[in-house]
Amino acid sequence: MYNFQKIRFSLFFLSVLVFFLGLPLILFSAFGYKFDNRSLKFVKTGLIFVKTQPAGARIYFNGKLLTEKTPTSMQELLPGTYRISLEMEQHYPWKGEVEVEAGKVSRMDKIILFPVRPNLQQLNQESFNLFFVDPDKKSIYYLDQGKGVVYRSGLDSGIFEDVASLPDKFEPINGWAVSPDRRKLFVFNQRQIGVVFFDNRENYEYPVSPVLLDYRREKVAAAFWHSDSYHLVVLTDKHIQVIESRPGALPVNLVELNNAEKAAFYDFKEDVLYFSDAQRSPDGEIYNNLYKLELHSNLYSLERLIIQPFEGIKSAQKEDNGE
Amino acid sequence: MNSRLSLKRFLEIVPGGLSWGIIVGLIFLSFFFPVFSAVIIISFDFYWIIRTVYLTTLLVMAHQRIFRQRNEDWLERCMRLPPEAGFSELYQLVIFPVYNEGLEVLRPSLEALAASRYPRDKIIVIMAFEERSSYARDNALILEEKFGGIFGSYLSTFHPDGLPGEARTKGANATWAAKSARELLDARKIRYQQVVVSCFDADTCVDKEYFGCLSYHFLTAEKRHQASYQPMPVYNNNIWQAPSFARLVEISSSFCQMIESVRLEKFVTFSSHSMSFKTLVEINYWPVDMISDDSVIYWKSYLYYNGDYRVVPLYVTVSLDAAYSGNIWRTMVVQYKQKRRWAWGVENFPFVVEGFIRNKNISLLNKVRRSFHLLESHVTWAVWAVILVVIGPLPIFFGGAFFSQMAIAYNLPRIAGLLFRFTLLTSLTWIFLSWTILPPRPKGISWFKHVLLVLEWVFVPFIILIIGSAPALDAQTRLMLARYMEFNPTLKGNKVL
Repeated sequence: MYNFQKIRFSLFFLSVLVFFLGLPLILFSAFGYKFDNRSLKFVKTGLIFVKTQPAGARIYFNGKLLTEKTPTSMQELLPGTYRISLEMEQHYPWKGEVEVEAGKVSRMDKIILFPVRPNLQQLNQESFNLFFVDPDKKSIYYLDQGKGVVYRSGLDSGIFEDVASLPDKFEPINGWAVSPDRRKLFVFNQRQIGVVFFDNRENYEYPVSPVLLDYRREKVAAAFWHSDSYHLVVLTDKHIQVIESRPGALPVNLVELNNAEKAAFYDFKEDVLYFSDAQRSPDGEIYNNLYKLELHSNLYSLERLIIQPFEGIKSAQKEDNGE
Repeated sequence: MNSRLSLKRFLEIVPGGLSWGIIVGLIFLSFFFPVFSAVIIISFDFYWIIRTVYLTTLLVMAHQRIFRQRNEDWLERCMRLPPEAGFSELYQLVIFPVYNEGLEVLRPSLEALAASRYPRDKIIVIMAFEERSSYARDNALILEEKFGGIFGSYLSTFHPDGLPGEARTKGANATWAAKSARELLDARKIRYQQVVVSCFDADTCVDKEYFGCLSYHFLTAEKRHQASYQPMPVYNNNIWQAPSFARLVEISSSFCQMIESVRLEKFVTFSSHSMSFKTLVEINYWPVDMISDDSVIYWKSYLYYNGDYRVVPLYVTVSLDAAYSGNIWRTMVVQYKQKRRWAWGVENFPFVVEGFIRNKNISLLNKVRRSFHLLESHVTWAVWAVILVVIGPLPIFFGGAFFSQMAIAYNLPRIAGLLFRFTLLTSLTWIFLSWTILPPRPKGISWFKHVLLVLEWVFVPFIILIIGSAPALDAQTRLMLARYMEFNPTLKGNKVL
């Protein structure tokens, strides 16, 4: 038993020795120190971590090919600048210089090696002027102003079909948008908005011919689909209004605008219109303000909206401003 | 609250407070001082690698000793001892404290006892039943009928419920049985120093050489009455039937005990153990109000003999049942509760330190060393898995941008990876050794189980998460909050132990 315990104590003290001798070395190494044989001193180093997409690129480090491929790290590097080039068959190489700082990691983990011959495809089968990509429904809409035709295709080459015809002699086209339900689109210019329905032969809910909404006293500046795919939110030079996409619909003016030069953004998910408008302050200066107009169908029945409440809001704001 | 109670409460808070302090402190450091935290974690990882290699070496040493002594004819060696050693006058008193265990548990234990290579007329068996158990009397009668005439003496005792000062613990039952044994020995005019008492769990099946080995070590030990004698517990009774999870945990528990057997200065009695009956009487038996009676009995003796008391390892196995239940989740719960009960051994810390304060004859060095060992082992148990598995990655995730660009942030996971590769190497040793301690494959168990026994070691990291530190942390927290545990027997298959 004595020898047994003697061996154990030897092992114990050996373990203690290894711990206390090894730990400083491990911690030094963890902090990036290495022993420099030339200066016989510990010097603080840094490291480079390289990761590419796709992985497996050859690494030339200061012109020398390394055995490791990406992702990998180059350690115990003295502070300074290093040349790195990354190469992969059938991909454009990446070249750069990397600065290494003592005790730090230079991470190069956002490198993409692009293929030499990208997978380039032509999708359209007819001429067009404008297009709209719908990633959710994996569709692309093409608008040919000359022929007045709307086409639709998938995201890759395949089905390419004629889905609608624009109203006759509708030009110029200042803007267009496909409705959220992807069953119709509108086009507009300063004097007219035209709503065109796709594939309506089997759907009696919508009229066969396009719906034309005329603007004789106001100029249309921008238009957006409401999320219900039935109402249009229209910015004219004088008002913000909503209008139903049906023949003979009359617009409802929601807000009276002061400035014809305005910018707008419509949040389809929340049905909120953000728009800017000018406002004159008591000191006579004109300030541009940003407004938020909530048009969520759960909050308001759009048909009931009248101009007064919004006028009230703006009046109250004017009072607050001391006008 | 008087000063003694205040001291006791303080000592109860110390282990849990330390464990939680380490965990919370390291989490705090990981968020606000990640570099400092990374240094501590790397140091701990390295410490753990060295500790694992060191302990695995000790395990190999203990394992080698068991195998070297496997074919030893201990009885023959006892007979060759000089007459003054007293082998011819030596009696073996065996106490089986029984709670709700049925005959399917008790019969194999007594059969193993009957099959042991030792003069049966020198074996006194006491089946210590709990009076509150409804089947106690019936089972006692059945066992008496079968085993009553086999041994030198056979006695069934029935421990009354709710005696003043007692808790419902195994120690209370064993003490009641030992007092009955004392009356029996007095009646037969057997001197206490001629008797070695073994307190066995109800499912303990002794090796046939156990009593020979025990007698030889007892008779040849220096200051034989100032030592406990600890066999190596292996959970082989149902090891082939137990699910992987339970099997791995129990094999690991056996290995831990084997490792402890080599570290003599820290070795404490655990589970089934033996000692001089004279000593047992002198120290006033097992504690009647503590759950961890198996280790407290050692500390009571240590204090009684002013530190001149030790545990002698017996490199012979006693086989117990692996704890498991119907499905994997229930097995986890059973294992968790069993390990928590073992971890409740932390209640020894206040007991021992209070004893050290009162005892003026033990050297200060010994007091500090033993208290530190006890505290360190429990605190390490409660925090190691948390540090390795949970806190280890925290600086990387929450250290912030400044930390993430430092070399140490990059090296921290690499060093942790090195740790796990080392752990894998030591696991291979453990896998091999676990194979060698298995009992023969019973009929009806497929050979494929051998393959499974190797493959199941991949579950070790998962097991570490479940029962690595959590039961110990749970037990220490309960002690810290004075939510004292009660003794709950462990489910082992369809048995209750």
